[in-house]
Amino acid sequence: MVTLRINGKLVRAKEGEMLLPVLQREKIDIPSLCHHKAVEPYGGCRLCMVEITKQEWSGRQNMVTSCLYPAEDGLIIQTHTTALIELRRTILDLYLARCPDTPEIQKLAAQYGVFQTSYEQVAKPDDCILCGLCTRICDRMGFGAISAVNRGHKREIAPPLKNAPPDCVGCLACALNCPTKHIQYTDCGFTREIWGRKFELLADKQTGRPTITREFADYLSTHRDIPRDYFEQNDESHRKETALILGKIAVWNREVPQ
Amino acid sequence: MKILKTKQLEQLAEEYRKTAGRHKKTVTVCCGTGCLAKGAQKIVEAFEEYLDRCKVRDFTVEAVKKTGCHGFCEQGPLVVIEPQGTVYTRVKPKDAESIIEQSIGHDAVIERLLYTNPADGRKIEKYADIPFYAHQRRIALRNVGKIAPDDIREYIAAGGYQALAKVLTKMTPDQVIEEISKSELRGRGGGGFLTGKKWRTCRNVDSDVRYVICNGDEGDPGAFMDCSIMEGDPHAVLEGMMICAFAVGASEGYIYVREEYPLAVIRLKKAIADCEEYGLLGKSILGADFAFSIRIARGAGAFVCGESSALMRSVAGEMGEPRAKYIHSVVKGLYDHPTVLNNVETFVNVPVIINNGAEWFTKIGVAKNSGTKAFSLVGKVRNTGLIEVAMGTTLREIIYDIGGGIIDGRSFKGVQTGGPSGGCLPAALLDLPVDFDSLTEAGSMMGSGGMIVMDDKTCMVDVARYFLNFLVSESCGKCVPCREGLYQLHKMTVKICEGRGTEEDLIKMEKLANQIVAGSLCGLGKSGSKPLLSTLKYYRDEYLAHIRDRKCPAGVCKNLITYRVNPDLCTGCMVCVKACAYQAIAGRKKEPQVIKEDVCRKCGACVAVCKFNAIDVL
Amino acid sequence: MKARLVITPHLCTGCRTCELACSFTHGRDGKIGQSRISPLNGGFSDIHIPVNCLQCEDPACVKACLAGAISFNEKTGAYEINQEICVHCLACVAACPFGCSLVDNQLNIVVKCDLCGGDPVCAHFCPSKALTYKQLQSKAVGPK
Repeated sequence: MVTLRINGKLVRAKEGEMLLPVLQREKIDIPSLCHHKAVEPYGGCRLCMVEITKQEWSGRQNMVTSCLYPAEDGLIIQTHTTALIELRRTILDLYLARCPDTPEIQKLAAQYGVFQTSYEQVAKPDDCILCGLCTRICDRMGFGAISAVNRGHKREIAPPLKNAPPDCVGCLACALNCPTKHIQYTDCGFTREIWGRKFELLADKQTGRPTITREFADYLSTHRDIPRDYFEQNDESHRKETALILGKIAVWNREVPQ
Repeated sequence: MKILKTKQLEQLAEEYRKTAGRHKKTVTVCCGTGCLAKGAQKIVEAFEEYLDRCKVRDFTVEAVKKTGCHGFCEQGPLVVIEPQGTVYTRVKPKDAESIIEQSIGHDAVIERLLYTNPADGRKIEKYADIPFYAHQRRIALRNVGKIAPDDIREYIAAGGYQALAKVLTKMTPDQVIEEISKSELRGRGGGGFLTGKKWRTCRNVDSDVRYVICNGDEGDPGAFMDCSIMEGDPHAVLEGMMICAFAVGASEGYIYVREEYPLAVIRLKKAIADCEEYGLLGKSILGADFAFSIRIARGAGAFVCGESSALMRSVAGEMGEPRAKYIHSVVKGLYDHPTVLNNVETFVNVPVIINNGAEWFTKIGVAKNSGTKAFSLVGKVRNTGLIEVAMGTTLREIIYDIGGGIIDGRSFKGVQTGGPSGGCLPAALLDLPVDFDSLTEAGSMMGSGGMIVMDDKTCMVDVARYFLNFLVSESCGKCVPCREGLYQLHKMTVKICEGRGTEEDLIKMEKLANQIVAGSLCGLGKSGSKPLLSTLKYYRDEYLAHIRDRKCPAGVCKNLITYRVNPDLCTGCMVCVKACAYQAIAGRKKEPQVIKEDVCRKCGACVAVCKFNAIDVL
Repeated sequence: MKARLVITPHLCTGCRTCELACSFTHGRDGKIGQSRISPLNGGFSDIHIPVNCLQCEDPACVKACLAGAISFNEKTGAYEINQEICVHCLACVAACPFGCSLVDNQLNIVVKCDLCGGDPVCAHFCPSKALTYKQLQSKAVGPK
């Protein structure tokens, strides 16, 4: 365990733990757009930056992203200095130039007093903030179906060669974790469509209601050692069946002398 | 045949010197990429063809050596006759015959091929007398231009691998690190970090696996120092890496070469293959308990992959994106193992430090900036090329004594050092010593060693726009300040160049530029604002002229200049009318012509053809 | 020593107190939560079964979770979903053969029984002691 001084207050943390979770535990309002506990910290949005120093640094300061800086003993942290607020303001201003109509960005920017961008709006604005969460989560799941393509300002998230991604299983992890709901998908009957690819949703044997995609079920049974027939029913059906089986056992138990 | 003992190394050197020495003279032809592009290969063939035809006594084809870049690129193709050191410039294949007959067959000198000193119009024969070379101190480039880079025996005969032998037989890894630390060698790739410190940190990390990587990405536009070293002296790079690997405890190494250097890859591959054959790479090197292997990794055309963490991702086969380096690569680098990454030039300094001692090295250069630095001197100087000077040499010495001053009689306006992430320095700072600390203090940086000289016809706002454009297209796009910030900064600079800028824009740009420095993830973003901030610092009045007066003083920004025929000088020859692709010039013969301003595209064709300098750019 | 929620089906009266207790305990932001325990009919008119997570030895939900959000809590004996890691792919919901990984449609999260951190409210409130939380003395059962 190490001791940090955060905004003047002494706080304990695990050595090597990243600063952002520590700050969040202390209920300090640090904005962050590209952070998710399921994946490694990224350091792309730069909003979680804090000012750090140490006694032995003789007044030298550093501005670091708290999501990637490990806690060390004696670290002195400031989270809301004028410089940091100015920086967050500029970053959100720049975000608005790219995503002027995105409610999540508008809300965050408004907190910092930015209501519209002071820069030139990009030619084709959309809701993607290039936080990389979709690709990082997809990699973590083991599919790697989508990725960031092209460099710099032309960077975008796309499947290989912008065709229907062969490795996608239609699990929707990308779309459901997108901070701005930019990734579109449709579930219509037993068809799911995402990234330009159509998937078949399996139907529950009893009720006929859709569950997960065939591809996802195939992957889980092949790679994760789960019997394929588990996926033929949905959770409601499974519970009903469990109750019936346990019911039978209960009856036997009642009739058998203890 | 494997070399297993230092003695064998010496014997090999001796033998080779004897066989090579039977030629009393050698003809070295510069075959660096620049001279090759100018037809050096044809010159070599002309020599060989002539020698095959007429057998000259005591001189055979073996005595025609294809070497790496001699450095005096402006005067290429170059041929140097050794040992007398006669330098022939702007050689053509048809000169091969005369050179053999006169300079080899006899001791004559071909006057018309000699270098003419523009200062006094006199011809200079010898290498050591040419001012371009006389002011240099070639340590990293010691073998470049002297040896045939594809023959390991040439390198060994020149003293190569002696340092490796010394290290493996007489020193411990800690002693090697100690020596490099004492020499105060700083990274030559731009960071200027103390090499010894880097090696020591890597060694101290508790790990079974460590890597050594040589950064041969050299992405700065206009820089070709590492190119020339990799092409002209690949073994020195390997030897430096081997010594490093021994010192830190690594058994695998990579050389990351940018995609645009195919010749460097060929030379390095040959060098590695030869080393493996001679047992200098592999297991039990020189009979010691040291194993090391080197592989080449190719870049794919991304400037950002010169950044160490992006480079390591690229080597691992991932997209080249930097990461925040609060945990340094020496602790967790390639595949999360401790990795030492050093520049090509840093590595080639290592063997020479081991051989001559750290103290010798510290005596060269200035305090805290020991040794020399190679620069690619380009732009509006007379003598463009590859040079190497001791740290602390002033800009004035480099640009005037070595560079020969500004061409076409124009005046010096500024010099850009350190590539796109560096800054421009004005005439007032010509006496600034060139070293890491002085350049950084002045608002620029050493960078990898590019030096672009500008004259009064260079628009500094346009320069800022050019470099911002480069950085915008090379940004990886991971972090917001660099991706969005530099993009917006570039747009605002374009506005100023087109005459639509305001003074509010200038204030906004400065503020944004500083925020980009504070907020960016990696060096590309952090120093991306430097071209703008340094030109604003030293050439603010030029920006204001663009904004307030809607004028470009250097006559570059197309929207802000007008081409006008001077009626007093125009003879009405109408050569410009023919040259104009847009038919913007009209007039009668023998009368002053008139340029239609709304049609004129300011391409400059008319200015180029007018023999009377009758077209003004206002 | 390991703790277990012991279900004695023939004592269950089908009163659904457990379901009520569970959903109120797991409410958030002014909304009631999805109950992790489902009292269902056991196939006979007088047999009721409170279907709950059996804290399997080789849980299908853990195997299905590609993000690594489900882990074992040594103290309570329960497998828990870490909501900060969960990516909502519903693999565990589809994989559990007992249907005990569920979607909370109000709070928009995937949930399962976590034995309330060591004092399960369902056992606490069950009037007939059909649900009891016991520390087992017998052979240690735990994650494979």
